[in-house]
Amino acid sequence: MATQFWWLIHKDLIVEHRTRQAWPAMLLLGIVVAVVFSLQMELLPEQSPAVAGGLLWLATLFAGLIAIERTCAAEQQDGCWDGLVLYPIAPATIYLAKLSVNVIALLALECVLIPLFVVLAGVPLLQHPWAMALIAMLGSVGIAAVGTLVSTLARGLQQRGAVLSLLVMPLVVPVVLAAAEATRLIAQDDLGSQWWRWVQFLGAFAVVFTTVGIVLVGFLVED
Amino acid sequence: MSRPTSVIQARRLSKSFHGRLVLLEIDLDIATGECVALTGNNGAGKTTLLRCLAAIARPTAGEVRWFGRPAGASAEQRRLLGVTAHESRLYPNLTLRENLIFAARMCGMSGPARRADATLERIGLSRFADRQARQASKGIRQRLALARVLVHDPPILLLDEPFCGLDAAGRGWLAGVLHERRNAGCAVLFSTHDEGQSRQLADRTLSLHAKTLTDLRQPVASGPPEEDLPQAA
Repeated sequence: MATQFWWLIHKDLIVEHRTRQAWPAMLLLGIVVAVVFSLQMELLPEQSPAVAGGLLWLATLFAGLIAIERTCAAEQQDGCWDGLVLYPIAPATIYLAKLSVNVIALLALECVLIPLFVVLAGVPLLQHPWAMALIAMLGSVGIAAVGTLVSTLARGLQQRGAVLSLLVMPLVVPVVLAAAEATRLIAQDDLGSQWWRWVQFLGAFAVVFTTVGIVLVGFLVED
Repeated sequence: MSRPTSVIQARRLSKSFHGRLVLLEIDLDIATGECVALTGNNGAGKTTLLRCLAAIARPTAGEVRWFGRPAGASAEQRRLLGVTAHESRLYPNLTLRENLIFAARMCGMSGPARRADATLERIGLSRFADRQARQASKGIRQRLALARVLVHDPPILLLDEPFCGLDAAGRGWLAGVLHERRNAGCAVLFSTHDEGQSRQLADRTLSLHAKTLTDLRQPVASGPPEEDLPQAA
């Protein structure tokens, strides 16, 4: 299973590298949102840390949905999804591989956006790099777990993109809020018990939705 | 003479979509080493039947068994199956070789690159190995789609209109493959619109009409015509 899991991720990354269908659009949208937010808001230096977390995670969500939508849409071409589910691999392995590809995309996006917020908005998001990395990882897994599940559910629909946005946005509000709050506390140099509670919430959200995805995907792969 | 082992078995199989009945109480048995043709008009439900037999579509009623066990009950059980469809199911941005390597890896085969090269050699597509699937002609994609499902030597083959889009050489090649797989003990079910093809290649023909299946028994075919055999390689 581990070998097949790895080769599924490898295949998706190779295809994205060759087609460049999702990542350039995702990165461009993320950068545009970050730049507009950072330059348009004339905030006092002490106000910036308070709003930077929310802006970072909204930019991540809007731009990240492009990559999440493409991961499953790519399998719809030429009946590839049916071919994939006919291989002797567990549907959960397919789900976890797609989830991993989406997490990699979101982390790549954050690797661009976080330094951009530091430079443009002057927000010290990297003063606790390991704490920021932890929030980025948990937030990305939470968003990707929901997005991958909904994307699998909506794979047969023509208006897949619209359905994905409509269903994912309300479901990921808790994770965006928690990640934004945890990011704000990092920017304000406050890694106390409140920060730790947000970390626990993000961890629980990621575990719950990943588990739900693993359980449900078996039912979603059949007609 | 002993009764042949039933490899694929359907009992009272029905399927409906949004209340519209497509298949009604289909009973079907295909034995080891048997090649069966499935005919029927457009929209008769041939693809739906094949999808139910492949456990891609869940029957509304009835059951499908592979080697006496409920079809598709486990991921491991799907190793028994090779299925082609109207679509090639190839990744357009992977090369022909990469598509075969990926299929071999997903089936857990050892030496996937070696196996892919051998398969390409066998189907005469070695010179196109590094061409992306989207750049290949329909005929080449069709051949590769079949090679992809043969890469792990499955004992069950379900082929949805496999001759569609193939030129004369391709049809000869495919006829040879069906003959070879049947002789190797594989159970083959293929859908076709061509009665001549079904008479020539299949042990018997099933006709799907008005949601039900009729078995048009016919003598066991001796194999594809002689001029088609060399293409099989």
